[in-house]
Amino acid sequence: MSIFCIGVNHKTAPVEIRERLAFVEEKIPDDLHRICQIDTVVEAVVLSTCNRVEVYGASDSPPLALNDLNDFLIHHFKIESEQVEFYKFQSEAAAHHLFEVASGLDSMVLGETEIFGQVKKAYAAALNSGATSRRMNKLFQQSFSIGKLVRSNTRIQQGATSVGAAAVDLAEKIFGQLQGCQVMLVGAGDMSRSTAQSLLSRGASEMIVTNRSYHKALELAEDLGGRAVHFDDWEEALHEADIIISSTSAPGIVIDAAMIREAMRKRRGHSLFLIDIAVPRDIADQVGDVDNAYLYNIDQLQILADEGLSCRERQIAICRKVIHDHIEKRGIQALAPPREQPRPKDPPEESSTSSGDDALGPFVPSPGNANQDP
Amino acid sequence: MALMALGFVFQSLFLWERGQLHNRCPITSGGEILIFISWSIVIMYFFLGRAFRLSLLGVFSAPMVFLFQSIALLLFWRNDPVPRPPAEVDRWLEMHASTSLFAYGAFALAAVAGVMYLFLDRQLKRRNHGQLFYNLPPIRYLVEALVRLIIIGLILTTAGIVSAFFMKQHPTEIHLALSGAVWLVYALVLAIHIFKRLRPRTLSICAIFSFLLALLTLSAV
Repeated sequence: MSIFCIGVNHKTAPVEIRERLAFVEEKIPDDLHRICQIDTVVEAVVLSTCNRVEVYGASDSPPLALNDLNDFLIHHFKIESEQVEFYKFQSEAAAHHLFEVASGLDSMVLGETEIFGQVKKAYAAALNSGATSRRMNKLFQQSFSIGKLVRSNTRIQQGATSVGAAAVDLAEKIFGQLQGCQVMLVGAGDMSRSTAQSLLSRGASEMIVTNRSYHKALELAEDLGGRAVHFDDWEEALHEADIIISSTSAPGIVIDAAMIREAMRKRRGHSLFLIDIAVPRDIADQVGDVDNAYLYNIDQLQILADEGLSCRERQIAICRKVIHDHIEKRGIQALAPPREQPRPKDPPEESSTSSGDDALGPFVPSPGNANQDP
Repeated sequence: MALMALGFVFQSLFLWERGQLHNRCPITSGGEILIFISWSIVIMYFFLGRAFRLSLLGVFSAPMVFLFQSIALLLFWRNDPVPRPPAEVDRWLEMHASTSLFAYGAFALAAVAGVMYLFLDRQLKRRNHGQLFYNLPPIRYLVEALVRLIIIGLILTTAGIVSAFFMKQHPTEIHLALSGAVWLVYALVLAIHIFKRLRPRTLSICAIFSFLLALLTLSAV
């Protein structure tokens, strides 16, 4: 008995293919049931996210199981075999692949943490459907340990990898938790909208939107759950904002140092974070010299994002070493031979099934299995 | 953290041993006073660092603790006065001395928070983020902690000054004047901050210089 993995990800298949191969979350238990009905497949876990569709499993004959699953996926998703080429891993390679996936090393945004939760969810769905047994339980439990180990022993999560994330990270470095922070959008462009949405998702409470076209401001304010302010009045509301995102198409400076000094006087010592994502710039450079006001423009945020990305890329080798060392020390638990169960002196009338028993096939949920939910 | 805890155990053992030797609170010489202040800095860090969500406070306060203990070691090496256990322990004197030195611990940590603020502010302004940047607490937490530490220090200093009036042997005028001066400086900084809202940068610089002044008065006392 060994393990295998078959799938596609953002590196091997374009979004047009990945979206056709995506499993519907609600139907995954049924799909797992169908997969486990394939003769060569004993256990299975389906991991289906925006960037990957993978099936992990255990089989007495992984090469045969991989071929069967290849056919199953093509038929199930009604896709031409020429249109997609699945990657296939067996044994140690399959385990290595899952460990890297859980650690965020195989993600589109290197080191992102969301995948860890998605792997956990995929395993929980399979566990609850009774599609896992000893091999998959051990494999996924070990992947969670390794994922945590990698994140706590390396800097793979450090730094932002996009302009929006860099802005949010800086806001949190200034204000801590963003709950209660007011955000003002000067200009209603797409970039300011997405940055504002990132801030909202991290707890920013109120949005003030202003734009030359009041209609546009109103529209965006409604979308973001904030309030619109007429462009003639926005300066009066300037001191209320903790974070200002400016993205107008004005040819000259919209916010100068005198305006910010006046706002800072009214803010009584509270910090102000200004994000200038307009080109040409909306906020005068001198604003950055005002005490307690922090100004970042689009290029500076992009530099931070690039630095964050290259820092994460430098961590890949370190992360792989952490995984390698863990495997050296503990081995791949899913590939270890099952332990001999001590034979009871007086066997009970009904032989008990253990989750650690290879003989336990899928769809036989047991208390032992249920307790292993991470 | 583990190293700080280990150091704290050794500090406590040292102070306990000296307390047994003197049969009173072990703050009878410059060296002991410095060790006591270092000990109170570490206690404050353990109790308040986590509550105020200040990561790296330990990293920034450790050099100060190291400096104080090194000076203490030098002082002990040059001259370790013979213990003179008092005929009768004055509880008010013990209270006065210990609360005042605990106040120094709080003021020291306020100064450390000030240094951390200035460091982070500089990195944010220059847009040059080193490795420490990612581990430093947010600017807002630093300022809030700094104000709270000054308030704690002021409460302890007030308790120390009040208890001095109940001591059997009244303190010298210069001693009272210097303690009052330290109290006044911090009270002024706090009052201006509350009523006029000092800018965080100014507040941090005030916390650092006030602590240096407090150390000077300590050496004079």
